[in-house]
Amino acid sequence: MPQIIDSPVDVVLGAEGDPRAFIWNRFEHTVIGQPQAVFKRTRWWENGGAPVRIDTELWRLDASRGGEEQHRYDLRHDDDGSWVLALDWG
Amino acid sequence: MTFSHLHVASAYSTHYGVTMPEALAEQAAAQGASLLAVTDRDGLYGAVKHVRACVAAGIRPALGTELAVHDGEHHSLGRVVVLAHGNTAGRGYAALCRAVSAAHNNAAHHGAAHRAVAAGARAPSIDRVRLAELAGLQSLTVLLGPASDVGLALDRRETTDAQGRLDAWLRAFPPESLNLEVVCHLAEPGTAGSVTPATRMLSLAERTGLPAVLTNAVRYGTPDEAVTADLADAARNLTSLAELEHPQFNGQAWLKPVGAMRQVARMVVDAGSHDSGALERMLRDTEQLADRCALDPVADIGLGRPRMPEARIIGVTGDPVAELWRRARHGIDDLYAREGGRAIEAAHTQLAHEMKTVEHLGFASYFLTVSRVADIVRGMGVRIQARGSGVGSVLNYALRTSSVEPISNGLLWERFLSPERQTLPDIDLDVESARRHDIYRTLFETFGSDRVSLMSMTNAYRGRGAVRDAGLALGMPDAQIAVIAKQMWRFNARDFRRALEEKPELEALAAEVRESQQLDLLVDLTAKLDRLPRHISVHPCGVILSDSSLLDRTPVQASGMGLPMSQFDKHDMDPMGLIKLDILGVRMQSAMAHAVEEHHRLTGESIDLDRVPLDDPATFELIRSTRTLGIFQIESPGQMELVGKLQPEVFNDLTVEISLFRPGPMQNNMPLKYLQARHGEVAPDYLHPRFEPILRETKGVVIFHEQVMRLFDELTGCGLGKADVFRRHLGKPEQLPRIEAYVREKALERGFPESVIARTWTVLAGFGSFGFAKAHGAAFALPTYQSAWLKTHHPAAFLCGLLTHDPGMWPKDLIVAEARHLGVPVLGLDVQHSGLDYRVEDLPAGGQGSGGQGIGGQGIRLALPELTGSSVAERARIARHQPFSSLQDFRDRVYPRRRTFEALARVGALDSFIGYDRARRHELLAHIQALRGTAVTIAVDQLAFEVELPVPTFTGPRFNAVTSLELRGRTQTDLELQGLGLAVNGHQMSMFYPLFAELGVTPASKLGDLPGGTEVLIAGVRRATNTPPMRDGRRVVFVSLDDGTGPVSNVVFFHDAQERIGGAVFQTNYLLVRGHTRRSGAKGVSLTGENLWDLVDVAVQAKKRHATEAAAASTASGSGSSTPSAAHFVTDIAPRPGDRTGLHPVLLHPFALRESG
Repeated sequence: MPQIIDSPVDVVLGAEGDPRAFIWNRFEHTVIGQPQAVFKRTRWWENGGAPVRIDTELWRLDASRGGEEQHRYDLRHDDDGSWVLALDWG
Repeated sequence: MTFSHLHVASAYSTHYGVTMPEALAEQAAAQGASLLAVTDRDGLYGAVKHVRACVAAGIRPALGTELAVHDGEHHSLGRVVVLAHGNTAGRGYAALCRAVSAAHNNAAHHGAAHRAVAAGARAPSIDRVRLAELAGLQSLTVLLGPASDVGLALDRRETTDAQGRLDAWLRAFPPESLNLEVVCHLAEPGTAGSVTPATRMLSLAERTGLPAVLTNAVRYGTPDEAVTADLADAARNLTSLAELEHPQFNGQAWLKPVGAMRQVARMVVDAGSHDSGALERMLRDTEQLADRCALDPVADIGLGRPRMPEARIIGVTGDPVAELWRRARHGIDDLYAREGGRAIEAAHTQLAHEMKTVEHLGFASYFLTVSRVADIVRGMGVRIQARGSGVGSVLNYALRTSSVEPISNGLLWERFLSPERQTLPDIDLDVESARRHDIYRTLFETFGSDRVSLMSMTNAYRGRGAVRDAGLALGMPDAQIAVIAKQMWRFNARDFRRALEEKPELEALAAEVRESQQLDLLVDLTAKLDRLPRHISVHPCGVILSDSSLLDRTPVQASGMGLPMSQFDKHDMDPMGLIKLDILGVRMQSAMAHAVEEHHRLTGESIDLDRVPLDDPATFELIRSTRTLGIFQIESPGQMELVGKLQPEVFNDLTVEISLFRPGPMQNNMPLKYLQARHGEVAPDYLHPRFEPILRETKGVVIFHEQVMRLFDELTGCGLGKADVFRRHLGKPEQLPRIEAYVREKALERGFPESVIARTWTVLAGFGSFGFAKAHGAAFALPTYQSAWLKTHHPAAFLCGLLTHDPGMWPKDLIVAEARHLGVPVLGLDVQHSGLDYRVEDLPAGGQGSGGQGIGGQGIRLALPELTGSSVAERARIARHQPFSSLQDFRDRVYPRRRTFEALARVGALDSFIGYDRARRHELLAHIQALRGTAVTIAVDQLAFEVELPVPTFTGPRFNAVTSLELRGRTQTDLELQGLGLAVNGHQMSMFYPLFAELGVTPASKLGDLPGGTEVLIAGVRRATNTPPMRDGRRVVFVSLDDGTGPVSNVVFFHDAQERIGGAVFQTNYLLVRGHTRRSGAKGVSLTGENLWDLVDVAVQAKKRHATEAAAASTASGSGSSTPSAAHFVTDIAPRPGDRTGLHPVLLHPFALRESG
């Protein structure tokens, strides 16, 4: 079962704009391998107000803290440019 | 590094793409792309705009289309992208055009056969074999992507099937004409937009050795436009977003820059097992195809190169220039013969001048083509008249393309064409509207359908459509949307939110919006849809004439009337070198033709309207009286007022009048300045004696484009051609300093004093691009005069034409009222006499209509089509078989449906069978309703009944026993309004006349007798509502009321009154208005409205009051007057009862107290 984290994080981006590392709880987590972006659409008409975007940008990636065991995470990139660590898949 | 997008839908892919081509090209250029393709769905709708936008943005254009394809058995092969190859001397572009036309042609043919499949069946689709043929000679590349049958099989994980389908494509197509298309929108795993199907497509390419190109199947420029694409999907599928079956996977179909596309490519490659070079290979193949598809706007598309019909097609054997000279010289000698030597000489001089430009620009064939078309139309016996700046040409007059003599009217050739004005000229031809389609068909036959096409027009979303589709997407109830849509006018949908804040009549809606999140969203979404192309339809007048290469340069599809229509609109014509003729159906021309025919039918006399002398005093007297209802161009309330002030005396006054009544001159207060000078209140100001000849005809006021041109020429000696360039640049503020400097310098050299130059420049700069070409004005003034002449001398025939062709702004019911005032009775619907058109009938001596003076006892018989709900076939049978000997005879030969039969009885159209005894209509209707019988189907898809129908013979007491509930308590007027929408028998206001008398309402016919500033009550049925633009930008509302006593009375509501009254200004149909009279000139009077009431409410109140008063009177011993007291009632309405005394003299006996019906 994934664990819901929902916590803002700082993200280090690679040259083409994909996350290379993120800092969570003061610790840097390094991305391992190629992260995969997924854009999930929203049912925006149910939430009032015309949205800027109709989808949510999620990055599924494997990362590890220092030399520890790697976990799979979902990072969310919001409209305002901020990053949120959404899920820890373990 | 660069990335070229090869699969892009622009906003011209209606209900699909949402970004305009210009925005896409600019964005691509800004992202560093060197090429951009637009591949609109099912057509090249945005192609010309795209190419021009690319040229402007400095990138290379590519063109393609996204088409459905089917196999030999009409099985769908999905959708593919077809791209034209460049550097093929136009071969690629031509093949693309032909492919699109073929897909639409197929839709037109098979759509009819498979109507059961409804909407889907009519969708354009091309046969694969045909597409492969066109792809031959290396002209096209077809991309098989996710929407192709191959891609769909891959999505289903049916790899073998996909391979088999691809083999079928490979067998059908020439080598190197197929590519696979990889698309990935990074959607959730498991969907078709995810990396999985994309990586499978890449693998298939690797296995078969076909190039794989990466596209983003773009539908919008930026991510924030994805919302609009959602709306487009809902609109296309006619469903709400919540119920949409296949919504976009996400919002990633945008024009991504190169970095983002590389990222997509990498994720696709990473998701499968590909070799290490896969990523670079895919991007390289994409760029290679892009290079192959880069089009040269000139060499490939023929941008900017005019193509005229071949000489032999327009009946010319030798050199077109020599032929044009010959015909023009001949025409001049003929047409100017009456005026004699000097006029002929002047015309020949002018012709030589014009021909120099024509030869220089190489337009000889163009003039011959247009005159050939005019000849064809005349040969069909159809009225025709040229309009527009072409009227300023002696050449056009000599060729008989135009019928207005330009020299004596002071018109200028250079306003039409000059070496400085190189766009293709425009000659507009007005024809009878009823014959327009016949003319189009004849032109297709004469020139050949490979040279002729109709032009299309792009219909964009406006307020109502936008709010409807936005509401549909949100799943709001139809009724709620309809209420809002009704209020969406008089402002742009994109300004919806501001309108809600500012417009008093929207206050109720604004309050609802504040309360409801959904309505608030609706407002935003409506604004997003505004101005987006919505659909294309046939242009109301544009016909494209070209040589036999036409179908290589424009794709065509069937128009609503069946004739082929280009996918290009008027903005695309000039760039594509396509000659467009505006052949506009003008209802007034039909109305006048009908009047002339009716006159001929009754008297045997032929009227040649084009030879009617233009100085008939009676005609001008009618115009000056402002009874201009029904007269071309001058029948609107504003025009009536201006005509009244101006008091036209000669033909040129009409030209001036029409030209003054335009937004530009109105906003610049030009009518007032002109009127003051015309009536001698101020001396005309010619600025300088050298300008007097130019400005004399308009008393010093600069009205016409031609005057501005002459002023420029006189000031600077620049020549008229250059002067027209200056004139057009007056509308561009950035150009003004340059022109001013030039004018000052040259004018000083030419001896004009500084002060005169300064004043003249102020006038010219203030003129802006406003005003009107005198050529337009003169061309309009001719039918104005002709229709006024007909109204003056042949009112019955003229009104008959108006009623048949309905050319004007007023409802027919008002035309009927006008007929009544002119002493021309309108005769009710009667199956024995009514035809398919309105007809003039000679009345029996001493019969109806004896009240008219000088009319000679003519009436107008109502036409059968006015009966609401009747079918074309029924009406045709009535017209064919009349007269009828009995009701039985009528039924046997007409076979009306029950509904029609009863409706005819109700309005009295069957009264001939009961001896025109209205009282017996109850019996007749009851009899018809009582009929029982077997329904029978007869030829033209309708049911009728087969029963015995004895002619009713009613006598004795039974006669009074029958009362039809449908007739009881209804006047003939009520029945006519219900069944015909027209009150023939009497005016619909007449039922209120007793109330008017009681309230002291001033009849319209008496308003003219009142001095200005008199407070009055007026009432009537609303006939028109206008909100003309005003100088200070504040909206005023003009409402025209008709109370049946005379011409309409016009009430103006200013801003404060609108605030007080709210929505009723627009919504009430029967109105009672309080206001003050406003005099405008000798004949004109209108009202400034202060308040208004719904007449129906007032009548109900009055009735209640009468009832209580009657009750009170009977209890209070019944003494005193039994007349209902109007005083109480009126004090409710009039704020200052004291004023009423002033009103009384005119109010006492204004309305005859007669019952209607």
